[in-house]
Amino acid sequence: MIGTPVSVGRRNWLFAVLGGWIAVTIGIIAFPVVLFLWPRKVTRSGELAMVADRLDQLRAKLLKGEWPAPFDFGGKPCLLVITPDGAERLRQGKALEPNDLRAFNAICTHTDCTVEFRPQQGDIFCNCHNGRYNLDGKNVSGPPPRPLELYKVSLRANPTTGQEEIVVSRT
Amino acid sequence: MSRELDQTDPQSGKPAAESGGRPSAISFRLWSYLADRVGLDAVIALGVKKRVPIHSSTLFYFLGGMALFLFVLQVVTGALLSLYYKPSPDQAFESVQAIMTEVKFGWLIRSVHSWGANLIIGVLFLHVLTTYMMRAYRRPREFTWITGILLLGLFMALGFSGYLLPWNELSFFATNVGTKLVETVPVVGYHLRLIARGGENVTGDTLSRFYALHVAIFPLVALALMGFHLYLVQKHGMSTPERLPRGLGWYSGLPVLAALGGVVPFCLANGLAVLGVSLWKLLLVASALLLVWLYRGQRPKSAASRPATRAGAPKEDGPSMPFLPDFLLRDAVGWYLALGILAALAALFPWGLGEKANPFSPAPEGIQPEWYFLFMFQFLKQLPGHVFGEWLEGETAGVFFFGFVGLVVLLVPFLDWGDRSRRLLNGLAAPAVVFFIVMTAWGWFPDDPHLSVILGTSLLLGMLLLAVPFLERGQTARVGLWILFALGVLFLLGVIADLRWGLGVGHSLTERLVLWLGPR
Repeated sequence: MIGTPVSVGRRNWLFAVLGGWIAVTIGIIAFPVVLFLWPRKVTRSGELAMVADRLDQLRAKLLKGEWPAPFDFGGKPCLLVITPDGAERLRQGKALEPNDLRAFNAICTHTDCTVEFRPQQGDIFCNCHNGRYNLDGKNVSGPPPRPLELYKVSLRANPTTGQEEIVVSRT
Repeated sequence: MSRELDQTDPQSGKPAAESGGRPSAISFRLWSYLADRVGLDAVIALGVKKRVPIHSSTLFYFLGGMALFLFVLQVVTGALLSLYYKPSPDQAFESVQAIMTEVKFGWLIRSVHSWGANLIIGVLFLHVLTTYMMRAYRRPREFTWITGILLLGLFMALGFSGYLLPWNELSFFATNVGTKLVETVPVVGYHLRLIARGGENVTGDTLSRFYALHVAIFPLVALALMGFHLYLVQKHGMSTPERLPRGLGWYSGLPVLAALGGVVPFCLANGLAVLGVSLWKLLLVASALLLVWLYRGQRPKSAASRPATRAGAPKEDGPSMPFLPDFLLRDAVGWYLALGILAALAALFPWGLGEKANPFSPAPEGIQPEWYFLFMFQFLKQLPGHVFGEWLEGETAGVFFFGFVGLVVLLVPFLDWGDRSRRLLNGLAAPAVVFFIVMTAWGWFPDDPHLSVILGTSLLLGMLLLAVPFLERGQTARVGLWILFALGVLFLLGVIADLRWGLGVGHSLTERLVLWLGPR
């Protein structure tokens, strides 16, 4: 009716409802969009343990002057490191000591580049920002804030062939 | 509506027809036909009405148009590349390889696209810097500045996302680094990284995301922002730099400070390196001294000598030229030049492709981002694992530092509210420019002090030249600037001579440089 004053309270209430309605609509649109942006489930599960190399193959490599390269361990690069003493023992065909072989998550703790083992310098190095780790995986110089993630290394005889294998595992 | 050719139509400028003397009947008819239907007259009239001020720094007005032209080139070449490019880890590298080797003129299109991307960022850097020097961000142009800075960020993001697309070793690790840095954002950092990468690691999903961002999302946002930016430029007209009265040159802001802050610390650093003073401490001390000096700098002789146009009202009475056709034609000359430079670069230095990315092989030696990220890269390289004791990671500190600087740059129009705050800003801007140049030059040739000093000094000398238009002929500051420039050139020649002939006198210089630049 013309001239009837509209209650301000009612108008505010209607505005609040309208605002809420718009907010809910935006939410309804945003919810699936955000979930859509979320990474999908990784179809491949990260293995907990795998065979990195066979001991005799590693020995053959060392004798040729080569060193183990990073490999794919459950979707992440893994670096197998053999200490200079251990390498010498292996070359001479002697038994390895428990700490001769080490394995690390090869992702640099600074900005996620893949590190490399430098046998000449006897360290683990990241080319991205010159981060340096020692052979225990401890960050020694450069920007890396934390040591490399350490994996467990063990030797076992293959149940079928009987050859010795190097197994890395997450602990 | 009549289609008669009414020469005396008062509401239309019809400049093309009028200025052309006696146009052929057909083209004139066609023009009128179109003008009538799509309202070309209004556009033309706007262009003729718009005037561009003529003064010593008019040249800087061309940088924006140059960036726009390069953007159009990027859109065209990018669209062409997308006809052959395949965004998947198995095919991306191979498809770019095919573009470079099999597709006719594919090498040209891709090289123009890659070189153009670098050129556009360079032009935008200059555009921002000269806009700052002209103080064109003053009221009422705050939002022109803000949209401009956002556009600069967006174009850097375009460069970063495009860098991954060939899926080679360099781009793979650059993307690892760049997306890892996102993680330093408090609370949501980890989730942001997940969303940026589309997973824990950089994978094919990351490639798809970056492809979508590069070809669809970023360009659309860029277009919208550019539209707004250009609308604001039209609305407010061109800003005329404030002319300070003669004799106040030392007072007039960035140009001289950039000069001082530029070459002097650079030379000093070389001299002081031998005393074991690190570059960091030096830059810190230099900035602090500069700030102190600024605060006790000369006052204007009297309040009356201050310019009346404090609020930034452009001078209407100065000489100017119409945007159409005078300015646009000059613009076109610049575009033609840019096209020539691009074509020459693409033909002489076709863009490389590198090795295909292998996520499980170590990052290659000598890895580097594009030049416009080098300053951050080099800075991150220098930061230790932790700063301020053990509680802050160096990487986080670095990212926060750059984030803060970015925020200050974005908010410049609101931070410049008077003489003092402006001097403070200038006092920060000059070391920032120097920092950018020194870090870029150092990061470009990390193992060759000679080359990095040559590059850095050349760029700093370029910065000095940028300041020239702001200083009046015969002014003390201008004379000082030229003296500084001459000293810089001498220094540059000395380093070049030392590099070329290994002069005896240069030997100690080289040692100092190695001391200064070499790894600690």
